[in-house]
Amino acid sequence: MRAKLFMSLVCAALVLLLGLWLAHPPASRANGDKDKHEEKGGHAHVPAPTEYADVHVPLSVWTDAAMIARGKEIYTTRCAVCHSDSGDGKGPAGLALPLKPADFRDRDGVAEMRDNYWFWRVSEGGQVEPFKGKGSAMPPWKGQLPIEDRWAVMAYQHTFSGHQGPHVPWEHPKSVAMGRDIYAMACVMCHGVDGKGDGSVGPMLSPRRAPQPRDFTSAEFKFRSTPSGQLPTTADLFRTVTEGVRSSGGPMTIGLRGHRIMPSFRYMPEAQRLEVIEYIKSLNRGFWERREIKTVAVPAAPPVTPERLTRGKRLYADAECLACHGERGRGDGPSAPTLKDNRDLPIAATDLTKPERFKNGARPENVYRTLVTGLAGTPMPSYADSLEPDQVWDLAFYVLSLSRGGRTAEEGLRVVR
Amino acid sequence: MAIALVVLAFGDEAPIAGTVKAIDASANTLTLQTTAKGKTRDVTILLKPDSKIVKFARATEPGKTGFVEQPLTVSDLKPGWVVSVTTKHESGKEIAEVVNVILEK
Repeated sequence: MRAKLFMSLVCAALVLLLGLWLAHPPASRANGDKDKHEEKGGHAHVPAPTEYADVHVPLSVWTDAAMIARGKEIYTTRCAVCHSDSGDGKGPAGLALPLKPADFRDRDGVAEMRDNYWFWRVSEGGQVEPFKGKGSAMPPWKGQLPIEDRWAVMAYQHTFSGHQGPHVPWEHPKSVAMGRDIYAMACVMCHGVDGKGDGSVGPMLSPRRAPQPRDFTSAEFKFRSTPSGQLPTTADLFRTVTEGVRSSGGPMTIGLRGHRIMPSFRYMPEAQRLEVIEYIKSLNRGFWERREIKTVAVPAAPPVTPERLTRGKRLYADAECLACHGERGRGDGPSAPTLKDNRDLPIAATDLTKPERFKNGARPENVYRTLVTGLAGTPMPSYADSLEPDQVWDLAFYVLSLSRGGRTAEEGLRVVR
Repeated sequence: MAIALVVLAFGDEAPIAGTVKAIDASANTLTLQTTAKGKTRDVTILLKPDSKIVKFARATEPGKTGFVEQPLTVSDLKPGWVVSVTTKHESGKEIAEVVNVILEK
């Protein structure tokens, strides 16, 4: 009896240990699990964070012989010890690493990497998540290699894949495949298959009137932190996708909470929002052709005083805001009935007494940014060149003071406070 | 048998990669800061006389390419270097088999 019990316990212990062995094989414990892709020297496919998302490698770099030669020199001295001279990720120091170095000869693996992801990896190495948590020993090169040198190394690494030409999404559709799938489910109805803003549902949102869905292939994006005439940053697009676009639309917008003509995707996981943005960017080569990205700095909001609101009221008249928005901000200025957008569609001047419908947000910093950047494709101009920052604050706070039925500046002061 | 299996199951020899935090040449130990499964921890590794410490350098002999191993001693290691260590468990301690220097800082 005792022998039977002992044997049963031993068998149970063996089964338990076998289970433990299978669940956590020894090689995976010290530095994290390795999925199949990592075993062959692949990558964790995650979108680059917004601070890296706008760093797109200039198209010429990938095929520039001088850059490739410069990259080879750096690669040979700094990268080959792990990634090997042939780029297969089997350098002598890499063989003993818990997370295998990338194999640049893996054509599919390279095709899935976006240039901003690649730059992020080279810059930050294994110091950031999710790579840090996986035990990556990849050094961060941002402190040791200037941006151009990191681009040069990437251009040389790219040659191992055998791909000719620039490493961009329209050459490697796989790199934006997840974003394309999300776009097909969530965006295509309004923005259209090619992102030209010609989806079947779009025209019904606001029949024969502006706003219409954005044409991603054009250079005109309304909601930006970049100066007038420039493309938005990834963070700008992320904000729009997250917040949606507030506006009073047509019957098709009934049910879009908070008077939104574009829904908020705040409940979509952040990584998926970034993936769909990468796909949207891939529809417009301008994101790869622009070099320096300047953003509008929004200074800290000053205190709101009656004097500031009085100055703001004067600016409201001097800057001719009342021509469109009306004296009391109700969107009923003398020019309002004649306003048209860049598609020649009638467009309403925003009713400034209803900040909940401000398309670009109604927080003071949102209004400041709108005044400085303008809204591309609409009659709303940029005041970046005509107003000083303090004047922009004067005007922003006065605009906010107009809310709820055209209150006086003094009443608005209480609201703003 | 069960005890033997426990030892086998948990006696991993997987490499540990991390940054050298401290070196105690008198005690022959190396403390690494390493991250695994999202958790950063310090691991102290004992270096035995037969433990190898190597770095890889370009071959200097004419006509040869690739890398050659260069042996180092524990006193050559510096805090901040990135290393990868293959280890084995003995008496509850991590014993170094090979220490590979990945990056000298």
